[in-house]
Amino acid sequence: MVCYTYDGSFEGLLTAIYEAYYRKEKPVKILQEENLQPSMLYTYIHIATDIEKSQKVYNSIMEKISEDALDNIYHVFLADREYERGTIIYNYLRLGWKIGRNIDLHLSDDRVMKVLKIRQRVEREVHRMMGFVRFSLVGGNIYYAPIEPDNNILPLIAPHFAERLSDQKWIIHDKARELAALYNTRDWLIVEADLGKIPIIDAGEKHYRDLWKEFYNSVAIKERYNLSLHKKLLPVRYWRNLTEKN
Amino acid sequence: MDLIRKLHILADSAKYDVSCVSSGSSRENTPGGIGSTFSGGICHTFTTDGRCISLLKILLSNACTYDCAYCINRISNDIPRATFTPEEIVDLTINFYRRNYIEGLFLSSAVLKNPDYTMELILKTIKLLRIENRFNGYIHIKVIPGADSRLIEEAGMYADRMSVNIELPSNAGLKMLAPQKSKEAILGPMGYIRNKILENRDDIQRAKKPVYFAPAGQSTQLIVGATSDNDINILKLSEALYKQYNLKRVFYSAYVPVSNHPALPKLTKPPLLREHRLYQADWLLRFYGFRANELLTNEHPNLNPILDPKCDWAIRNLHHFPVEINKCSYNMLLRVPGIGVKSAKRIIDARKVSTLDFEDLKKLGVVLKRAQYFITCKGKYYPGIKMNEDFIKGNIVADGLKTLLKTKNISYGDYEQVSIFDLLQGNKSDLGSCVNFNNTISIGVDIWKYVYDSLTSGRESIKKQLKPLLS
Repeated sequence: MVCYTYDGSFEGLLTAIYEAYYRKEKPVKILQEENLQPSMLYTYIHIATDIEKSQKVYNSIMEKISEDALDNIYHVFLADREYERGTIIYNYLRLGWKIGRNIDLHLSDDRVMKVLKIRQRVEREVHRMMGFVRFSLVGGNIYYAPIEPDNNILPLIAPHFAERLSDQKWIIHDKARELAALYNTRDWLIVEADLGKIPIIDAGEKHYRDLWKEFYNSVAIKERYNLSLHKKLLPVRYWRNLTEKN
Repeated sequence: MDLIRKLHILADSAKYDVSCVSSGSSRENTPGGIGSTFSGGICHTFTTDGRCISLLKILLSNACTYDCAYCINRISNDIPRATFTPEEIVDLTINFYRRNYIEGLFLSSAVLKNPDYTMELILKTIKLLRIENRFNGYIHIKVIPGADSRLIEEAGMYADRMSVNIELPSNAGLKMLAPQKSKEAILGPMGYIRNKILENRDDIQRAKKPVYFAPAGQSTQLIVGATSDNDINILKLSEALYKQYNLKRVFYSAYVPVSNHPALPKLTKPPLLREHRLYQADWLLRFYGFRANELLTNEHPNLNPILDPKCDWAIRNLHHFPVEINKCSYNMLLRVPGIGVKSAKRIIDARKVSTLDFEDLKKLGVVLKRAQYFITCKGKYYPGIKMNEDFIKGNIVADGLKTLLKTKNISYGDYEQVSIFDLLQGNKSDLGSCVNFNNTISIGVDIWKYVYDSLTSGRESIKKQLKPLLS
């Protein structure tokens, strides 16, 4: 059995899907090279990223399937802890090219439902992180926020903060992936980052942190205390980066 | 007094207002401004009691001149008092907002000196935010009952949402517990805001540079369990508020004992389950096409503690069921227990390209555990299901009871101990007002009456289902 591998970029994945249609050896799986767990059962073929070919696949999805489908697979692509995401996207698109723009009505087909479920999961985290990002004012008048999300959501949350906090410089640092979104009051971009040395917060910053913690602790009603509900809504894995929880 | 102490006092006093919603408005950021709103609302964190914190919810002041019995800020209560200056509130809001702690501000206040004086301070605060600081985040303000309508009108130009709390669901309750407030003082401003919003809707279509009046609408809060009002009174009131006053939301707040006024019930815990059932019923009114008088009648004036209101309605109306999933209308799908708005829409979509069976429904997110009794797929019942009233009721009541017994945070009305033994003996006269179960959960008497009635109704299959749960 054949397994294609790609470099982990979205364009790389689309190139692999392009090749799957034009090469003789048809893949049963498409996996990312990094973290690959090789198996004796598969023959691995590496597909080099080709922007032109990926663009063709991109256009074909837009024309022959739908914009929604493109949006769906982009979300699944960002769920980078989903080991089989390449294969899931490949299977979904194959069905899409067969059925056309009505693909998302086929909810009882596992290939479709799987994609929609993952998308839902990613969107839920995007919505959560719009709330859970915590900035601190550090040197250079920059607002810095560390996050460790389950999915690679920086490209989906950066536009939100660029609009909302448009007059302040900010950095959102995805510590789990060593990526950072930077914003300079005009544009944002995502760069690879090792922000090991973040300036220590000063007294002014501590003042607002203390006020926020005081507020947070004051609004809880002890007669209604419900820890299990609390943890369900505010999962413990996010606590590390929440000012009020430290 | 330092700011941190003030914040403690004025957040603590504001916490009994349950609303912390930041939805319904889509204000965009302006050049050089700060902030925007997100139409679906964003929760920024959650309290240890599991409520969303979205807004900086504080009182401007808790130094109240009124003496409402249910309220922690009543003048006769011996608590520390504090008052913010508008500048302090603006500084907190902007700095919290820049750190993404909050979606905006929810400003309420006790009646400081008089309603107009208080309302003027609130107005000054939000004008400072919107005009001087170009703040475009969410602002929810409480309208102080009795304040001049000019002040209310001006405030509506800067706020996203406005609310007037009704608090007590009936006039009698209001008279007894809040003698300084009248129904007119509450409903007056509510009607005024409604008319302003309607007028504004016409105006903004014509205006070149529209000024919105409270674009996220108005809401209110009802306290549950402080008076003897039945659920039917509460739900009918909500229904009327949605229909006649175009309210966006009615919030229900389980009464938390903050006073030992002789007219108030002696609760040890807030009636959270009752609050939960009211919210479920409220959703049925707003999104599922139910009317209040379908859910409750004068013979059944209170929501069923064991079953959610839709299940309860369904087993009282079995003649509507079963429905065929592949044919039934959207409105009827919404009435099936275990099918929500999302799964109903998915069914309608998926039905266009294939015929659905039970396996498919599971994938679409239908809760078959509840829906199985009320549906057919391709003309067939779910395997093992009998379309017989006893069978359905017995199973559903037993399921409801199992869920309740698993929940740790149950409290429903008053407390008095009764033994399970009496219940199993069928000794109705010994039923007190509450049963303590395994020393961990206390359940109000209504539940046990219901179980008792089911046990003694002479229907064997119901008995068979329930007995093992209670032994």
